[in-house]
Amino acid sequence: MKSNQSKKMWYLVGVSLKRKVKTKWFVIANILLAAMIIGVMNIDTIITAFGGDFNEKTTVYVLDETNESYDIFQSQMGVIDQTAEDDQSDEEPEYVVKKYQKTEKELKQEIQDDDKKIGIVISHSEQNVVDVTLISNDFLDVLETQRITSAINNTKTALAITKSSISEEELAAIYNPVKINRIYLDESKTEEDESSQMIMGVVFPIIILPFFMLTLFLVQMIGAEVNDEKTTRGMEIIIANVSPTAHFFSKVIAGNAFVIMQGILLFAYAAIGFVTRMVIGGDQIIGGFGDEIGSVVSNVMGSGIGQSLIYIIPLTLILMILTFIAYSLLAGILASMTTNIEDFQQLQTPIVIISLVGYYLATLSSMFGGSLFIKIFSYIPFISAILSPSLLLVGEIGIIDIIISIVLVIMTNFLLVKYGLKIYKVGILNYSSKGLWRKMFKALKD
Amino acid sequence: MLKLENVTKYYGDFLAVDHLSFEVRPGEIFGLLGVNGAGKTTTFRMIMGLLDMTEGSITLDGKKIDYDVTDQIGFLTEERSLLTKMTVKEQCLFYGTLKGMKEETILSRLDELLERFEVPEYKDKKIKELSKGNQQKIQFITAILNEPKLLILDEPFSGLDPFNVEIFKKEIISLAEKGSMIIFSSHRMEHVELFCKKLVIMLQGKPVISGYLKDIKEQYRKKNIFVKGNVTSKDFESIPGVVEVIEHADELEVKIESEDVVDKVFKIVSKKKHITKFVVEEPTLNEIFVSKVGESYEK
Repeated sequence: MKSNQSKKMWYLVGVSLKRKVKTKWFVIANILLAAMIIGVMNIDTIITAFGGDFNEKTTVYVLDETNESYDIFQSQMGVIDQTAEDDQSDEEPEYVVKKYQKTEKELKQEIQDDDKKIGIVISHSEQNVVDVTLISNDFLDVLETQRITSAINNTKTALAITKSSISEEELAAIYNPVKINRIYLDESKTEEDESSQMIMGVVFPIIILPFFMLTLFLVQMIGAEVNDEKTTRGMEIIIANVSPTAHFFSKVIAGNAFVIMQGILLFAYAAIGFVTRMVIGGDQIIGGFGDEIGSVVSNVMGSGIGQSLIYIIPLTLILMILTFIAYSLLAGILASMTTNIEDFQQLQTPIVIISLVGYYLATLSSMFGGSLFIKIFSYIPFISAILSPSLLLVGEIGIIDIIISIVLVIMTNFLLVKYGLKIYKVGILNYSSKGLWRKMFKALKD
Repeated sequence: MLKLENVTKYYGDFLAVDHLSFEVRPGEIFGLLGVNGAGKTTTFRMIMGLLDMTEGSITLDGKKIDYDVTDQIGFLTEERSLLTKMTVKEQCLFYGTLKGMKEETILSRLDELLERFEVPEYKDKKIKELSKGNQQKIQFITAILNEPKLLILDEPFSGLDPFNVEIFKKEIISLAEKGSMIIFSSHRMEHVELFCKKLVIMLQGKPVISGYLKDIKEQYRKKNIFVKGNVTSKDFESIPGVVEVIEHADELEVKIESEDVVDKVFKIVSKKKHITKFVVEEPTLNEIFVSKVGESYEK
């Protein structure tokens, strides 16, 4: 490309970006996205501000008729609570266990109309060591029931063990967590891989969704710009001064720069959300998205899988950028063939469907273990960027498969440029849908 | 000088332009005429390099027209070619920069042109908010922003009121006086007649009339005689060489085959009393156009 054409191409890139950023649509969409991301990351604080209470703990009143169960139950509830926090589950409630000294009737009155209070009556049983009555105002959720049941069962076991004259050392050994040694029969698998799989199970949905969204933004942006210039006939003046090649690449570069900028903005909103959470102290509250990110980051740092991420992250980024380019090339070619935005919206439907297929296959990839079909799909350009990283992390494909996907996308981009440019040159100055496909095939042959 | 030699364009099997040749010299305003579908827009697009020709050559000052040359060309398309979401200033900066102009040059030239076209208040208005006529003004301004060496005007007066037509005419003549080569296309023959010394009339891609307007009119031979006074159409209808007599409100128009018939008509008129007008005029370009295009259609 001659230097004056190259200069004009970069000017067009700047104008395209400026036009996009100045649109009301872009401003409104980003305000909404920022509000949504920051809001979701601080949802607990927001709910608390409107009267909700994430700090309110459930009080478990224990009426211990055995006079020996309360201490054991209290310690078991503590252990279960602690385990739940370590798992970083969003659902874990916190419990305050209190000994209840009055009668069962009074306990029922205490709990009446209060969903944050639970009553447990533990009594002797000849056949079953202890009998337990669980009293609550309303239904308990499954997790809560499981935890209380688990604490009661552990209490029962502990009581039985105590009565069977086992020494304190033996008792301590029984309660120590079991050490599990992992053996992988597939030699290529390591414990690090397993950790990374767990971590990326959280990370990739966070990346895949923005990738899918950005793909749609990209296709829409290029289609709208080319059609705007075509329908207003401004294209004739532009192409009279700028070669179709420079024009085509200006759209592709501007589109990709835009999605990268939008991607950075999304991460910036997430960072603002995270900082906001730190500043207002939300990170101490259970149930926040920030905890999730924080725990993932600390797991990554602590798990020692940084080494494998060193190649996974760059390869994934390369594949994603190349795929963005492929989408933008295809969108540019299709947009040049249409005469108005309605036509383009129809013509872009297959692109959206391809992208959707990739998205669903990626989110469901862990369900297709060992499937050759899904492995083949991971090579297909346009889908590979969204599917391959997930499959790589669940161990379905290796690094070589990602490299094959990258090579295939590069080849696709080369073919799109080589043949697509011919179509683009004819398409952008064509204002009639009559004999469109014939014109395009002729352009390809020429 | 712009030179087209045997320019031919096929769309598949369809012949859009058939061996078209003409020259436009600096300071000349050249008329490219024809009915819809005659091949005018295809010719303009080939000159601008937007379309490849099948045969022939197009040069500007002896050089093939490419992207190094198009910066010196101004192009006003028949349909609006403005990006309507932009303001006038943004639009001019956009097209001006694509023509290789510097921002400060564009802005000073824009201010000057907006003043000249009497619309300085529209500088920061969005194109879509302007009337059709004002949009045409802005489109014209974008075409002449770079003081083009070659200016292509495809139906420049479309959507303009008579007052604004005068402003455009003045500007076009001024550009020609400064040495621009101008190619002009219009369905309004009176405009073409006013501007163009040279022209081509195209029909179905073929040039049917070509050359200097003066020569074309002379070659056409037919004349019109306007007579006002105590005469009726019957007085002239029987004269050999009189093609048609048209009665206007207060005068008669006698169309004759050639200049030789003038004496015969004058003899009749001289015998009549109260004659206040006897004028022999060249045929209008419109007549020549209708006549030639009609003939070719019949063929």
